[in-house]
Amino acid sequence: MYHFKGLIASAFATALLSSTTPALADFWSDAAKGLEGTTIRGISESTPPSNYAKDVLGPAFTKATGIKVEFEATSWDQMYDKAIKDMEANTGIYDFVYIEQDIIYSYLARNFLVDITADLNESPNLKSPTFDISKFTSFVDNFKNDKGNLFGVPMEAFIKVYLYRKDLFNDPKVKEAYKAKYGADLAPAKDHKEYRQIAEFFTEWGKSSGGELWGTTVQAASGHPASVYEVVESVFPTYGIYNWGIDAKTYGASVANGGRLNSPEAKAALAWWIGNLAYAPPESTSSTWDEIAATFAAGRAAQGLVYGENAAWIATDDKKSTVVGKVGVALPPVEPGVIEQATSGQGYIGYYDGGAFGIPHSSKNKKAALLWLQYIGQESVQADWALAGSRITHNATYDDPKVKEQDKKVDGYYTLMREKGPLFRGAPPFPFHNQVREAIAPFIYQAITGELKPDEALDKAAAAADAELKNLGYRK
Amino acid sequence: MRSSSVGWLFLAPTLLILFVFGVLPFLYVLVIGFTQWNSFAADPEMRFTGADNFRRLVFDDQFLYSLWLTLKFAFFAVVSEIVLGYFLAQAFMRDFPGKGFFRTIHTLPLVIAPIAVGATWRLLTVPGLGPLPYYLNRWFGYEFNISRYIDQAFFTTVVMDVWHWTPLVTLTLLAALSSLPKEPFEQAQIDGANRFQIFWHITLPLLKPAILATVFIRMMDALRTVDEVWMLTGGGPGAATRYIGLHIWRVVFPKTDYGYGSAMSLITLYLTIVLCWMLYAGLVARRDLKRAD
Repeated sequence: MYHFKGLIASAFATALLSSTTPALADFWSDAAKGLEGTTIRGISESTPPSNYAKDVLGPAFTKATGIKVEFEATSWDQMYDKAIKDMEANTGIYDFVYIEQDIIYSYLARNFLVDITADLNESPNLKSPTFDISKFTSFVDNFKNDKGNLFGVPMEAFIKVYLYRKDLFNDPKVKEAYKAKYGADLAPAKDHKEYRQIAEFFTEWGKSSGGELWGTTVQAASGHPASVYEVVESVFPTYGIYNWGIDAKTYGASVANGGRLNSPEAKAALAWWIGNLAYAPPESTSSTWDEIAATFAAGRAAQGLVYGENAAWIATDDKKSTVVGKVGVALPPVEPGVIEQATSGQGYIGYYDGGAFGIPHSSKNKKAALLWLQYIGQESVQADWALAGSRITHNATYDDPKVKEQDKKVDGYYTLMREKGPLFRGAPPFPFHNQVREAIAPFIYQAITGELKPDEALDKAAAAADAELKNLGYRK
Repeated sequence: MRSSSVGWLFLAPTLLILFVFGVLPFLYVLVIGFTQWNSFAADPEMRFTGADNFRRLVFDDQFLYSLWLTLKFAFFAVVSEIVLGYFLAQAFMRDFPGKGFFRTIHTLPLVIAPIAVGATWRLLTVPGLGPLPYYLNRWFGYEFNISRYIDQAFFTTVVMDVWHWTPLVTLTLLAALSSLPKEPFEQAQIDGANRFQIFWHITLPLLKPAILATVFIRMMDALRTVDEVWMLTGGGPGAATRYIGLHIWRVVFPKTDYGYGSAMSLITLYLTIVLCWMLYAGLVARRDLKRAD
């Protein structure tokens, strides 16, 4: 009887599979009927997750639908220039564009993007049964408007973590030398003082051992916005300065106008960060997010704040990294009280970055682009994508066996992201993101070169931000 | 009348292209220069603001600094290129072993796109990893870091420009030197003039038109340099190499401040014209004036 029941269940399962599988498999070709041969063009920053979408998901989508995907993976600056100009001029060159979390508010303010929710409701035949917004992590909320409608399908999400050289931190000789010098155990830094101490120790250690080792990475490109981002998005929060130091209600940046961009805490944060340059490799002043990862992967720094999208390859890809199996992951060092603020939801300790693909209003192939966005948003493609780019946008991806396996090799980066992710936050919802960044950038650059002291730099940056916000009409 | 119509017909395509790609964009920039237009402002619409942008420019420290920096860059680059180009042209006037090979190698930078020149120099000079900082440090103990030291960055951009464009000067002056009449030189030698006197009183005056044309071309190029420097330093460190072209690019593209950026472009164009006119007046008109006297 038991055997018979099993047979019935097997037959039922087979019948169910045979009836549903073709339906799912056929959805893409059915939905794409009439769109075969169409070419959709997209632009994104050249990052591991984007390159995976270009090299793996694009061809797979073409195979499933007959729609070709032309994918331009370029530099961050070019990606924005091209996408914004295309959408402003309404030229329709691109059918999908990369939307980083911090620029979505600018795009929404300008009504650049197609309302994906509304379009799918209008065209139910294009709605994939395997695309379900509820399966995404809460990161997807960044790409929704006030009504909850979706304007971008997340394709990457990660946190900027504190990476350290586990092999060095666990080396008995190193530990002993550290204890002898500072009277404390060597462990990942919990606060800025400890971090500086460790940086100083490893820089001296590198010098004395004749190796190319420094105490810390610093993302301090002295002519590139990457340095501004490290200051306002990664360092400021650890000192309790949120939203770039700009008051979200009055849009004031300086203390005099209700902001905190030139507050004592912000000045202390910038001074600490600039001070780290003395313990960083010489390439630090020309390092953006990519070079920071390369520096750490080359084994030239003992610790650093590194974007999570690079964590997996640094820890696992021995073709590109010399520190495979030697990487430790931890939360960034913070000032007292900051963790408590973050836990209570009143603050955050670091940057939760990521991006989505959206469809510009100017697109000439919106239907084909809608299918593409749903294709990349399916749960079934997420795990391998995560392995390639250490990015997670779906809750279920954390539990995938392959991702769990990689998690062990990356010292629990994914677990940290899952459990401590809520302590991190994306950029503030400012529609003037690029404009204010460009206003304050020259002063951060001058602080890096030593032309301005950190105090002066932030006083000038705050005044410039106030002036820019007034000029843009946001601050009355 | 008929021949005149045919002439205009032949000229028409060129004039049309000039009008569409030269005059129309200029008029467009001229109009936008008198507006406030930032597509990410609270009010993203274009608003006529009269001469406000131009008034702002006069008090804009960053713009004025960029302008000063550009003039400094143009001065050092163009003077170095003319001097070096002249000596190289003189060298190529003589025969020496491997002359053909050296001339080809020397001309190669000219055919490289500016963005590739910037990338090459970036690879050469990237702190910590590039061969130039590495060997300067290893052999001379000199810390060369163009992303930290502003003077090093400035002079590296000058050297890069000199490396890229000196061959143009050399070729122009070589052509000019080749076409000089022999008689004045022979006569001067017979009269017992020394090398410097021949250079000062004969070569230089005869080369003046070619030098002047080259200076104009190179100066205008140097004043609008963007791509090479953008690739090499991105305008940094700090604002050390934020030349006017880069500054305008930052205002117009990342900041999307089209009105203000257009006003900057117009002022820069005006200053370039004035500078060229002053140079022309100083070097050519003065000579004509002397002749009239």
